[in-house]
Amino acid sequence: MEQVDRSIDIESRRMELRGVVRLAGEVIAQYWPMRTFVHHNPLHGLEYLPFEETVRRGKQFMGGNGYLPSRSYRDYLKSGRIQSRHLDDALKPMVHDKRVVIGSRTVTHGAVLRACLADGFCTQIVEPLDGQLPDPSKNLINRIAARIESVITFPDLRERIRMIAKGDEAALARWLTLSHWCDDTLGTHIVRQINDQLIKWCEAFLDEGHAAWPMPEREQGLYGAWKALAMQESSLFGIADSRRKIAQLPDHPEDALLENLDALGIPSDLRQDYLSLQLTALPGWAGFIKWRGEERDYPWQQAYPAGLVKFLAIRLWYARELVHKVCREELGIDGKYETITGYMRTHAEEYYFRRQRVAGRLPALYAEEVDRLAHQKGNGWSTVLDRYRTDVVPRQEAAARRGAAKRLLSLVRSLEIDPAQLDESTPVDLKQLSDWMEAFPESDHGAVWLKAFEASYQDRLLGQLRTRANEAARPATPTRPYSQSVYCIDVRSEPFRRHFESVGPHETYGFAGFFAAFIRYRAWGKEHDTEQFPVIMRAKNEVRELPRTYLDQTVLKHEARAKWVHAGHTLLHDLKENVVTPYVMVESLGWFYILPIFGNTLLPSLYRRWTAWLRHLFVPSLATTLTVDKLTSAETAEMLDAEQQAIVRKALHERIGLRSSRVTPALVEGLQQHALMEQGDPEPPLIQEAERAGLLVENVNTFVEILRRQYALNARAASRHKERITRTGFTLEEQILTVDTALRMMGLTKNFARLVLFCAHGSTSDNNPYESALDCGACGGNEGKPNARVLAMMANNPRVRERLTKTGIEIPSDTHFLAGQMDTTTDKVQLFDLEDVPPTHHADLSRLQEDLKEAAALTSHERCGRFPDVQQVLKGKQAEAHVHRRSMDWSQVRPEWGLSSNTAFLIGRRELSKGLDLGGRVFLHSYDYREDPSNRLLEVLLTAPQVVAQWINMEHYFSAVDNEVYGSGSKIYHNVVGQIGIMSGPWSDLRLGLARQTVMNGDAPYHEPMRLLTIVEAPRERIEKLIARHEVLRHFYHNEWVHLVALDPNDGVWYRYRPTGEWTLIHDH
Amino acid sequence: MMDGALIPLLLAGVPLLGALVSLAIRSNPDRLKLSSIIWSVISFGAIIGLSVRLVTPPEGLLPLYLLPLAATASLLGQPAHENHRRSSIMTLVCLGLGVGTLTGRDVSGQLFLMALIVSVIVLLYRHHTALWPISWWGIGSFGLAVLCVGISFVSGPPLSSVASLLTCAILLPLLPFHNGYLTALTRLPGSLPSFIVLLLPAVGLHGLATVMLAVPDIVAWTVSLFALVGALYGAMKALAQSRVRLLLAYSSLSFFSMLWWFAASTQTTTPRAAMLVGAVGLATSGLLIAWQVIRTRYGDDVDPQSVSGLASVMPQYAVLFSLLGLAAMGLPPFGVFAGFMGLLFASPLTSSVALLVLLIAWLAASWYILNMGQRLLFGRQRSELRSDDLCRSELFSLLMVVLILIALGVLPASLFEPDKSTPPTTTITGSFAWNK
Repeated sequence: MEQVDRSIDIESRRMELRGVVRLAGEVIAQYWPMRTFVHHNPLHGLEYLPFEETVRRGKQFMGGNGYLPSRSYRDYLKSGRIQSRHLDDALKPMVHDKRVVIGSRTVTHGAVLRACLADGFCTQIVEPLDGQLPDPSKNLINRIAARIESVITFPDLRERIRMIAKGDEAALARWLTLSHWCDDTLGTHIVRQINDQLIKWCEAFLDEGHAAWPMPEREQGLYGAWKALAMQESSLFGIADSRRKIAQLPDHPEDALLENLDALGIPSDLRQDYLSLQLTALPGWAGFIKWRGEERDYPWQQAYPAGLVKFLAIRLWYARELVHKVCREELGIDGKYETITGYMRTHAEEYYFRRQRVAGRLPALYAEEVDRLAHQKGNGWSTVLDRYRTDVVPRQEAAARRGAAKRLLSLVRSLEIDPAQLDESTPVDLKQLSDWMEAFPESDHGAVWLKAFEASYQDRLLGQLRTRANEAARPATPTRPYSQSVYCIDVRSEPFRRHFESVGPHETYGFAGFFAAFIRYRAWGKEHDTEQFPVIMRAKNEVRELPRTYLDQTVLKHEARAKWVHAGHTLLHDLKENVVTPYVMVESLGWFYILPIFGNTLLPSLYRRWTAWLRHLFVPSLATTLTVDKLTSAETAEMLDAEQQAIVRKALHERIGLRSSRVTPALVEGLQQHALMEQGDPEPPLIQEAERAGLLVENVNTFVEILRRQYALNARAASRHKERITRTGFTLEEQILTVDTALRMMGLTKNFARLVLFCAHGSTSDNNPYESALDCGACGGNEGKPNARVLAMMANNPRVRERLTKTGIEIPSDTHFLAGQMDTTTDKVQLFDLEDVPPTHHADLSRLQEDLKEAAALTSHERCGRFPDVQQVLKGKQAEAHVHRRSMDWSQVRPEWGLSSNTAFLIGRRELSKGLDLGGRVFLHSYDYREDPSNRLLEVLLTAPQVVAQWINMEHYFSAVDNEVYGSGSKIYHNVVGQIGIMSGPWSDLRLGLARQTVMNGDAPYHEPMRLLTIVEAPRERIEKLIARHEVLRHFYHNEWVHLVALDPNDGVWYRYRPTGEWTLIHDH
Repeated sequence: MMDGALIPLLLAGVPLLGALVSLAIRSNPDRLKLSSIIWSVISFGAIIGLSVRLVTPPEGLLPLYLLPLAATASLLGQPAHENHRRSSIMTLVCLGLGVGTLTGRDVSGQLFLMALIVSVIVLLYRHHTALWPISWWGIGSFGLAVLCVGISFVSGPPLSSVASLLTCAILLPLLPFHNGYLTALTRLPGSLPSFIVLLLPAVGLHGLATVMLAVPDIVAWTVSLFALVGALYGAMKALAQSRVRLLLAYSSLSFFSMLWWFAASTQTTTPRAAMLVGAVGLATSGLLIAWQVIRTRYGDDVDPQSVSGLASVMPQYAVLFSLLGLAAMGLPPFGVFAGFMGLLFASPLTSSVALLVLLIAWLAASWYILNMGQRLLFGRQRSELRSDDLCRSELFSLLMVVLILIALGVLPASLFEPDKSTPPTTTITGSFAWNK
């Protein structure tokens, strides 16, 4: 009974710990593999907190800045991007009604704060004790410093030390780990040592096929594999007896983590924060492990499980051992929370000096003295303190007064007051001014600047839209357009749509790029599915690409040649990645690489054309179709049968080495059937076939067992597989619902053109690990082509159209739906399934293609104006050639540069924005509130596409404000690791976010970081209902992650939604 | 026509007179700095003008030319501040005494040398602090040097030779007599360390040129052993330093030890040796001036650990500092490389172990100097520190050092050698004034 109780107790402790780890992990964002890069908010887990509070947490845990440096905002102010009145408005809540008199001038609190912002002299500068740079104002500064000497006082050194020790004691385990404490106090490098170890293990364990020599023991999971291998390592930073210690660790990672936390003595109320701090030490790897841990169906996770508990169990073992070792050696105490806090209390002076020494805040001679005392473990700390008090402290105080005087001088100059008037002011007034400045340090400026910056942009954008809205309100006579085309809401579609509308009477619509088709897709010849929907959703249907039925012979040829190409690639890869072969390969085959090197470098366009032609010659492309319709039962059974037999053939080849000539259909079928039977002996026909193939009876049984266990050919797996096959395609009802929803959401329910194009988007670039970041976010970081094809095929289905008529959407019989894809790096649009276009529409198609081409040229011309390396105006062919070249240039760090600069999301009719140049900064989703009486469509738009837009926006925001912490630094140093992500150099955390070149133009931000502005054309009460219904919307608007503005069609007035839940009228300026 | 014996006095007198003039205007730091620089330049002009009438020592006249240049660069590199008045004046005094030592004959040269060492002792004593007790060792070393100069003056060989050798080992630092040199570089104020780093080794080399010819083989062998150990010791100590001046002191000790090894192996000193001494001294001087730039901004006793990320905020400084670093670690096209290679190719390499040791010490320099540069120039940018790039005089100072180092590296070595047409004036007992 006691044993049962204990095991229940252990299990409950483990569960509790898993809960704590889950909460601790909120502070880090999930990290998706780079091949399907998903833009997301790096502080997504904290969106339940107000934006400013989250920024503070980000600083606390990750050390990241949440705002641009003030100098960038000041540049915006000078250039007019921030307008003065918006800065004043943003400052208003902080201003007190107080004033002081300086000479003959009255200076208000607001004026001081404004000057601090605009001229940036509130930066906390450490004044040198005896700076010797010539300063023409030196005498004046000294005079002012002398005047304020009587009013500016400093606490006694011992009191200051006591306060510091107390503050640090409170911060320990909340704000800094014990490892950090050791590094900061003793000058050790424990955090770096632990990080290096964790990077090593994570890199090896999480590899997804990149490594030529994979890590062994991975099937034991992250913790098990580490334990198995680490206990064979000979030396771990001098940790005594490390092998035995690792061997004695519990088998369960939860138990090991608990043991480590207990050994470090972390109080239970601090454990969540403590674990958060541990995770944020390597937010990239931890973020990827967090994602893996939550993706239970992910094949790599199924094969090699990893999770945050395991990660922390390893991390904290190193922490525990190293902290203990260092504390014992340096301080003679145990490396535990309690003993360390005790040390800070009882040895406050020693602690103070050690901290100051490591932080480089001691004069050099005192630094030497501290080193000597620390080395000799001497007791002379009090003597040094006394000397320090008389020798250094007065100089520090004088320097601080000089610093205050310098700030006062800068202030009066900024306010255009004669500096001499400072002499006439009372010390109390001077101190008041100094206090105001000190209470508004530069670290507090970011939030004010951001509000002013956003207000200035929003003012301009809303001004543009307001003008257009007035025109849109006038009724227009509907005429049938030449074409209608639907583009992704992506900001990169905006310039193209604008230009396309300008070249002819075309109508365009915006819609989330997955076109309401939640599909898992497998392209022809590929082994893996892609998830073609926003990552916040789940797919119910699967779609496969198949060659068209009339291509039987070509398909066989294609398959055979594709196999050869694949084998060639594999061989080349293995030769390159193997431990030994590269040495030989460089000598023998290295010369052949001259061609691609010179081709890609000197003549990339020509080389690409040539290689494409060669590829096409060898493996001709195939016309394909998609499995949009559901399979019948017979088709399902046939497909299942074919796949199972393929498995048997493969296993016969791999396990027994049977040639295909000896493998008869009867043998395959017999083995398949026998494997699916749970028990029983082989039937006589199977035995005969096996003997004919040279197999012994006893071997048949063994082989069948292998089929069941290792090739998953058994009844249960067959059932699962069948269930999966039945997910292929859509039922008629599903197709009708999908098309109906899509058309209604985009407001395309009448006046259909003869051609309607669903235009997805993808991209082309070379040598770019971030390639998928340029693809469609709504399609899970993939190209949207399959989704567009699926929706077009559904919409062309006569049965679907017939049923749609009953729901009120009457699609004329001469309307044909087309699928296409825009390449956002070249601006070209490629159309698909053109053989399905009726002959009656060929003229329309030809015209559409011409106009698309013209729009592409205009878009390229516009984009070329934004590239910093393009100095002259490129027009027509020049611009086309330039963007084409960029897409193939393997040294190009900005092949596209279109998604950066996103700022707003407009949900409304196209009439609101038609003809406006929105600079490629606005996500545009077509929505007609009149088609949505139930509010269902708006609900979807606010809870899905808006979330995607916000993630993209926040990814760019944080990558721009602190690229080193939230972004991924310069592309120059990027190295792909494990086929999952990138590191900077050969050894780093997995880099999060976007590269510096994506968001910055030199030292200035190219992406102007501001929070998303969502503009909705809908009645306010409908929006309010949705906000009340959805927590995610309350988080967005009430916590100021997203600004919301509504154009209420009931009164035609623009309103802003406040975090308090109120609407305020937006006045026209 | 001026008497040849008066020329050394005249050359020494120019900077000493400058020191006197500067003393008169010491209340105004700006004028004092300007005056000191002008007197250094005049001194350089005087040396150039009168050098043809000087007796050329075996190591050539390069050290003599470099002294006023180093003094000028050091004076330019320090701020015009009341704290640096004494160091400006003392730079001129030391320049005068140094020039007098290098050019003076017999008694006058010895008196100049003694006065120079005594001046350094006095300065060290005045800047002694209880937090740096090791400076007593330095003062003691220089005291020993004074004693040795006295012994060499009053006694005959072999005692005088040994005493002279010891004096050389203290001035041109050789393990274990390097404490004086280390203390001078780390404790002297303002522009003095960046000048002393060239002055003392140049004076030491001057003595060594004569002494090495007289020492017995066993002594030379012992010296070469000390030199090898010193080269490694200096490199290892430099690797372990966090303080810039100590690092540079040990680094230069390592390089000077290499020179000692060459000198002991060949028992001669040549103009190539002077080139190495001049280049190492000047490169170290440049780095000390660069460190002075930091001290000017963040205080004399700034901890190097508190400064980082200067490359982005002080680009001019970063470029010049990097060039000086490259020069100090012995890379082409700077003088240290040329001097080292010149000696290497001119010496009979009798021991591969010795060569290996020298190469290790040389390679170590690229580690610790790069590391120092990396710490200062890169890493986290400290927004709480003011970071003003070089002012004009600092820029001139560092640029001047870099250009001289390049000139030493690219100009033909024969330019600094004694005129072959004039008969050698050096004999074992002849011109070296310390050696009676």
